[in-house]
Amino acid sequence: MTYRLAVVSAGIGEPSSTRLLAERLAQATGQALGGQAEIHVVALRDLAHEVANAVLTGFPAGALREAVDTVVGADALIAVTPIFNASYSGLFKSFFDVLEPDSLAGKPVLIGATGGTPRHSLALEHALRPLFAYLRAVVVPTAVYAAAEDWGGQLTDRIGLAGGELANLVAGTPKPVRQDPYENVVPFEQLLAGNG
Amino acid sequence: MSTVLTLSGSPSPDSRTSVLLRHTQEWLVDQEHEVLTLHVRDLPTSALLVANTEHPAIRHALGLVRRADGLIVASPVYRAAYSGLVKAFLDLLPDGALAGKVVAPLATGGTQGHLVAMDYSLRPMLSAMGADNLVPGCFVLDRLIQLAGEGGAMDSSALAAVHVALSQFGAALGARHRLPVVA
Ligand SMILES: Cc1cc2nc3c(=O)[nH]c(=O)nc-3n(C[C@H](O)[C@H](O)[C@H](O)COP(=O)(O)O)c2cc1C
Ligand SMILES: Cc1cc2nc3c(=O)[nH]c(=O)nc-3n(C[C@H](O)[C@H](O)[C@H](O)COP(=O)(O)O)c2cc1C
Repeated sequence: MTYRLAVVSAGIGEPSSTRLLAERLAQATGQALGGQAEIHVVALRDLAHEVANAVLTGFPAGALREAVDTVVGADALIAVTPIFNASYSGLFKSFFDVLEPDSLAGKPVLIGATGGTPRHSLALEHALRPLFAYLRAVVVPTAVYAAAEDWGGQLTDRIGLAGGELANLVAGTPKPVRQDPYENVVPFEQLLAGNG
Repeated sequence: MSTVLTLSGSPSPDSRTSVLLRHTQEWLVDQEHEVLTLHVRDLPTSALLVANTEHPAIRHALGLVRRADGLIVASPVYRAAYSGLVKAFLDLLPDGALAGKVVAPLATGGTQGHLVAMDYSLRPMLSAMGADNLVPGCFVLDRLIQLAGEGGAMDSSALAAVHVALSQFGAALGARHRLPVVA
């Protein structure tokens, strides 16, 4: 079977190191799944206008709606943010602010971040992990941080390790059965008769 | 007298955080402070989210922060942390923008248990930004704030707690004036 991986990058640079890290994590996960993965990248920078509107109105519309559906419908999520002021960026947080509260419940998630300095790697544990814990997602133990000077040997190993963890989790997680609320509707007469 | 900027990070037009800030502003005016106000939602939000500091409205907002001696940063608790909107604005501040200013975090939330969002998310973020004069601030449960009526209303016990927090803020502002100015 093929697994759907949603990849959310909140990088705003062009080119973006955040997006690069996100794609490397997705490749590593795909490889660990024996290539049985379909990768869908959501670059939040391109959706900033829609994210801003959704924050103000409470409803994701247009291309953002599609992105939200991609994330919510995926078998696993890879979420990567640049570190701004020792935490996730406002764009990253805003995207998760507009998701329905329960929409990531039980979802396997791999978190990553890029930063200018290696000193802020713990932001993953202090800011990102609690956010996904609140959303009741299942976050793999290895989170990946890449500072400007990190690109190279050890980072590649860590990406492989994290991707392997996500792959194991996804392959071991039964696909959630999405209930259609209009299927198997109990007839009204039966409800009235107390047999609901 | 000091100049104080009150910053609201709620995206809602009818906002409990704004009601809290309106009471805060009244207190500040009573203490004869000059009050500047900023609602992040009124800024061009898409420019904000991609960190475009060239936009004139955003430049003006950054100027308000520069002018202020003290800053009240108010956010609703979203997903057990500050709102993405307030973070997007704070991310635009240049390095050291909060140094030497008195900063008080305020938050409103639906769950008493999320009071700790102040201590685990809002305060650490402000201190990571170089706020070196951070006073305790206050968390207010949303049900103690009513939107109805002119400007909304607050439960009296909640308002008393806010006044205690503001007194600490005011005292820190006063102390700041007495510090020797380091050129
Ligand atoms: C406003 C701002 C704040 C930043 N704060 C931090 C920080 O606290 N720690 C850090 O390591 N890097 C910080 N950086 C550097 C970014 O994390 C780094 O540039 C990021 O990896 C760029 O990602 P991108 O290329 O995908 O846009 C900051 C950058 C900006 C613009
Ligand atoms: C998207 C969203 C997420 C929220 N998450 C939390 C939360 O994690 N904890 C909490 O105590 N309240 C939460 N709340 C409730 C708000 O923090 C609370 O109602 C607040 O007073 C709203 O402020 P406002 O009217 O100024 O926007 C959430 C509300 C929304 C809309």
